[in-house]
Amino acid sequence: MQGFGQGQREKVLSLTCMEQQELENVFALLLLGSFVGFPAPPTFLAVELLPFMEREMQVLGQRAEDACDMLGQMMGTLGVD
Amino acid sequence: MKILFYTGKGGVGKSTMAASAAWQLSQKSRVLIVSLDPAHNLGDIFCVSLNGREKRMNDRLLLREVDLHKLSRDYLEREIGVLTRTYSYLQALNLDRYFSVLKYSPGIEEYALLTSIEETIRREKDFDFIIFDTPPTGLTLRFLALPQITITWIDRLAQIRRQILDKRHTIQKIRGPASEEEKKQEVKLAYDEKDDPVLNRLMALKANYESLTGILQGPDSGVVLVFNPDMLSLRESERLVEGLRDINLPLRLLIQNKVTEENRAIAGQVVAELRKMVGDIPLLQVALSAQIACGLDSKLYDIPEDLVAPLDWRR
Repeated sequence: MQGFGQGQREKVLSLTCMEQQELENVFALLLLGSFVGFPAPPTFLAVELLPFMEREMQVLGQRAEDACDMLGQMMGTLGVD
Repeated sequence: MKILFYTGKGGVGKSTMAASAAWQLSQKSRVLIVSLDPAHNLGDIFCVSLNGREKRMNDRLLLREVDLHKLSRDYLEREIGVLTRTYSYLQALNLDRYFSVLKYSPGIEEYALLTSIEETIRREKDFDFIIFDTPPTGLTLRFLALPQITITWIDRLAQIRRQILDKRHTIQKIRGPASEEEKKQEVKLAYDEKDDPVLNRLMALKANYESLTGILQGPDSGVVLVFNPDMLSLRESERLVEGLRDINLPLRLLIQNKVTEENRAIAGQVVAELRKMVGDIPLLQVALSAQIACGLDSKLYDIPEDLVAPLDWRR
């Protein structure tokens, strides 16, 4: 039973983690969009926050790398083989 | 302390009116006049050389020119310094120099202007009046609107940020306490609002802009609109009045400059048009100065009309 609970927990966790990463991605994209040609907040706001955005930038980069296999990744998260 | 912004179309005589008002006010009060216009001519009006610095005309009048390029450069250097320190590992790969590309970001000049206004207002407590001679309409409206636009963005970003922290908190709760072994490998992410540097910075910026907006919209601040008796300057003034209304800044005085006997009729028409928009805000008419023709050492700031009386809007 304990193993089953652990399994369920892991599943929920990975889904929430993905949601969180997506949010971080959106946050970074909104803030740093001007550097890649999106309409964006006043540039200085991005410059002010840039020093604290290391993780978000990593996520952003990761998402860009994974972009070609979005479907595969989603299936993986949802547990579809 | 009263804060005044002299605005209007390029060439209508903003700087001259601002300088004259400063001169007249300085007969009784302590006045600081700051030129934010990149095409500085405050120095020319007072016949002194300022070169992006300040100069004391007498005990009660201080002139200052703001060097916009230097301001933006200083600001970016500071930020690039923080970035380089934060991502110090990039120095090992010699990649940190790429941050310097930030100095070409658009929008930095307006921000530098706003920062300079803010610093002046917060630091200079020893004056009764601070007069800002602003750049032409477009740029002026942009930087005056900046605090409010920024607050809107900050609110949206803070909302997303709170969601992220909320998710992190959930993950932390589901996962439970980490074992000693896991703790060693773990990358610690902030999930409490107090610990998140991004949210903290956002909130600090918001508080700052709200207080600045409060000062600019407050009872001691105001905009003076300078215009000429011609249709072009009327149209631009109308746009400016609309812009000021959008961002809720109080218009305190209208000055119609360069009025002569020949253009008095059209001057009346222009005023009537403008009155439809602004209601009963005080109006001053200033005659075209005869001194322009008098040569280099004429006192351009010494005009006969009383520019001071309407600036006492509360007494």
